[in-house]
Amino acid sequence: MEDRVVWKRAPVIIAFLCNWCSYAGADLAGTSRQQYPPSVRVIRVPCSGRVNPIYIIKALADGADGVMVSGCHPGDCHYLAGNMYARRRFAVLKKLLEISGMEPDRVHFTWVSASEGTRFAEVVRDVTDKVRALGPNALADGGSRYEL
Amino acid sequence: MSFETQQKELRDLCAALLRDGAVESVIGFGERSDSCCVCPPIAAKREKDAGKLAWNSRCVPNLAPYLPLRGKTAIVAKPCDARAVVNLIVERQIPRESVRIIGMDCAGMTGADGNPLRACAECGERRAPVADDIIANEISSRRELEDTRGEYSAKRFKDEMKKCILCFSCRQACYGCYCQTCFADRVLPNWQPAEPGFGAKMTYHLGRAMHLAGRCVECGACENACASGVDVRYIIRGVTEFIEKEYGFRAGIDIEASPVMQSCSMDDRNVGFWGGDERE
Ligand code: SF4
Ligand code: SF4
Repeated sequence: MEDRVVWKRAPVIIAFLCNWCSYAGADLAGTSRQQYPPSVRVIRVPCSGRVNPIYIIKALADGADGVMVSGCHPGDCHYLAGNMYARRRFAVLKKLLEISGMEPDRVHFTWVSASEGTRFAEVVRDVTDKVRALGPNALADGGSRYEL
Repeated sequence: MSFETQQKELRDLCAALLRDGAVESVIGFGERSDSCCVCPPIAAKREKDAGKLAWNSRCVPNLAPYLPLRGKTAIVAKPCDARAVVNLIVERQIPRESVRIIGMDCAGMTGADGNPLRACAECGERRAPVADDIIANEISSRRELEDTRGEYSAKRFKDEMKKCILCFSCRQACYGCYCQTCFADRVLPNWQPAEPGFGAKMTYHLGRAMHLAGRCVECGACENACASGVDVRYIIRGVTEFIEKEYGFRAGIDIEASPVMQSCSMDDRNVGFWGGDERE
């Protein structure tokens, strides 16, 4: 991106976390005092397969600077295959966002299990760095929302 | 062979079907009232109505959304319409026994100005992949196509969105948009902001593209219906190509297939995931 990335506020990243793994992983990251940036706003969902792609599109349209979705590793889903349906959906959504010219680094999908507190902190640090480098979402703060 | 001979063959076939009671009605194209109009959809229910069926270069609409009618129905189908019908069967929206597909070999339809429609110029399909009857024409070989995809950029998307007036005609014309209540019409939760800004257009078009992923049959009904000339289809086309490459699925080709987004496999790759494309 351009070098003149200006942030007047902290980045806002919406995180959809699966109740059975990543949410517990985030908990573990907290209880084991892992440091990660306070940019994520966690929304607990019963399964990564519960994340409707429109949630992500709507979050971006309403000005979230980034979105991350995290579920159980393939094969470990509490509902057997929810995360595998989600995997196809996310692969396609990421492609769609790329085609429509959205910066690919705004949206991230990953697998974090309940025992991977360290991985959770690492993901949040990395996602925040990537979003920070992109600059604020142009649709946030009433930006280009009223332009068209 | 030409449109006239195909039209004659079609009328004879439909008259026979209706006379023998093989079908209760035929959904087809009627004569247009004016040279600038497209052929309107009609349903022929009696043998004498078969003479009203038309087949010419302005049979533009996709007739699949008119299914199902009561009783067994025959449908006059261009290759794209036939794919739409097949995908409706695959998605369990209509039973296979309730429909008879009359596949019309198609060289492409034209606009009011006589030029080929954009979707037809990009289409290599010449014969319905699945059909009960084929009304043949010698143009039945598949055509090689040039790449008309263009660049994928934020500017292109914004420029297309600028033209959109959120009238939802593209949704109404699409065979795949059969939900009773579209997410764009929902009040609780209210996905679609009331004010027609970029956010609203992005939510609608990206949401719709997501819903048509792996289901679009490239009939072009959406862009033909658009009064503002928005190229609504290019983002969906990109996704369709991705799905074809990644999951080897094309909508409406195989009547036994299971819908690609309602299936999953342990062998799928983590395409575009954090930490790379590694297989778990
Ligand atoms: S999205 Fe457009 S081209 Fe695709 S099936 Fe629907 S109307 Fe046809
Ligand atoms: S038909 Fe055209 S103007 Fe209407 S909603 Fe679709 S793209 Fe927008």
